Amino acid sequence: MNASPITNWEGAQAYFMFADNPTMLTVILGLAVTVTVGTIIASYKHEQQTYIDYQ
Amino acid sequence: MDQVQAAEKIAELQTMVDMSGTVNMEVFYWWCTALMVIIHAGFLAYEMGASRLKNALASGVKNILAFAFIIPTFFFFGWWIYLAMYNGFVPDFEAAAAGLPWSSNMGPNLTDNASGIFWGAFVLFAATTASVFSGAVIERIRMSAFIVLAIILGSGVWILAASWGWHPDGWLTTVWGFHDFGAAGAVHMVAGFFALGVTINLGARIGRFSKSGKPLVIAGHSVPMSIIGLMLIIVGFFGFLGGCIIYTPGGQWTTIFGTPTTLSAISFNTLMAFSGGIIGSYVITRQPFWMMSGALAGIISAAPGMDLYYPPLAFLVGIIGGVAAPLADKYITAKFKIDDAVGAFGVHGVGGLVGIVMLGVFSGFPNVAEGAPAISLLGQIKSALVMAALGFVPGFGLSFILAKFNALRVPPKAEEAGLDLVEVPLAAYPESVPASISANNSSKVSTKTTPSSGLTL
Repeated sequence: MNASPITNWEGAQAYFMFADNPTMLTVILGLAVTVTVGTIIASYKHEQQTYIDYQ
Repeated sequence: MDQVQAAEKIAELQTMVDMSGTVNMEVFYWWCTALMVIIHAGFLAYEMGASRLKNALASGVKNILAFAFIIPTFFFFGWWIYLAMYNGFVPDFEAAAAGLPWSSNMGPNLTDNASGIFWGAFVLFAATTASVFSGAVIERIRMSAFIVLAIILGSGVWILAASWGWHPDGWLTTVWGFHDFGAAGAVHMVAGFFALGVTINLGARIGRFSKSGKPLVIAGHSVPMSIIGLMLIIVGFFGFLGGCIIYTPGGQWTTIFGTPTTLSAISFNTLMAFSGGIIGSYVITRQPFWMMSGALAGIISAAPGMDLYYPPLAFLVGIIGGVAAPLADKYITAKFKIDDAVGAFGVHGVGGLVGIVMLGVFSGFPNVAEGAPAISLLGQIKSALVMAALGFVPGFGLSFILAKFNALRVPPKAEEAGLDLVEVPLAAYPESVPASISANNSSKVSTKTTPSSGLTL
């Protein structure tokens, strides 16, 4: 997969992976948000499980 | 050398000087950010030491997770809030475009040496607010509730306060003349009052008050660890306060409000206020936990005017902060039965309040923002009230909702058993006997293990 937005360094500006590809940026950002929120939900579920013996 | 060659040489030298200045700016904030990480090493030790043995690791996990969740969420929306909301509640979408998480400025970019390094420094300020709040709620808050509240505080509330009162065009400065060099309002007051709001709904730890309501001491398992942690926070504060100053390549330092200053000014007043805070707390408490907390309160109390104070006056203001913090903590504990486990409200909330008001008492300095009035007592008091409300209202409101859904606090039996045993698949001191086991039926408790939620090493 070609992730580079540049073909040479002359005049390069934003050069991070997929900088010229809004679709890929959206997908990656969406995944990052999902993992962040998902971990909080998983933490809540983990607590519910651990508290069963302490209700 | 003819004139054309000379002009080319001068242009070349000018480019080198400009680039050198830009790179030096990046280097300066890079190391300020690194020093600020020490604040979190300090908070980690401070909170774990202030926890009983049965909760030491759970307090550590909580503190580390606050840091971990602040970083991505501050990327997702925190930086945008800072750039957008300086007018109040109406965002400036154009000014904030560079802070959108898909902006070309929010990643490696050879034409932008500033966004990443400032974002990094602000992330560490954000994580500091979450760590301030973290200490107040140890030993009984649910991890998931804490993470949600830490994100709201660190990536939402404080940065809104910073946009209003710690920004070159923030409305508190342009309308009321507010001045707060070291973010005593946006960071410390907001975090302290947020913690106060949450502790009201969270309630006290079991055993913190007698049946008659008399406060009882719940001693942490390692006071030396807490005291060393507090000293580490002080070390990190030099990065924090360095990060509050604006490096302008080729020009004099300025505050974030654009007024000129020097690092020398900050050096004088940080150390004098640090000293004053220790002395103030020593006179009141005679004990080292509060002496080091007083050192923090002293620095926070002088922080708004670090760039302006005559150093002996910063020393006196530091003493006032060092006296006010433990007294305020004692007052809210005895009067309102609030269990703030590390005195976060006293140190940060009251310390910040004292600092903002004291700068108003010794005011009169001009601002440079267009149309902004000079620093005044009334402007400082009104701004302090805004900061207090910005911290307290979301903290109280969100924790109230979480409590209604029974999602704020751990069950009483889990609290009594200890959160390390219940939640953390690791022992803090495996060769010692946890208090929860020695105090209860050891054969019954030792058969329980925390359900595995991932890789256990």
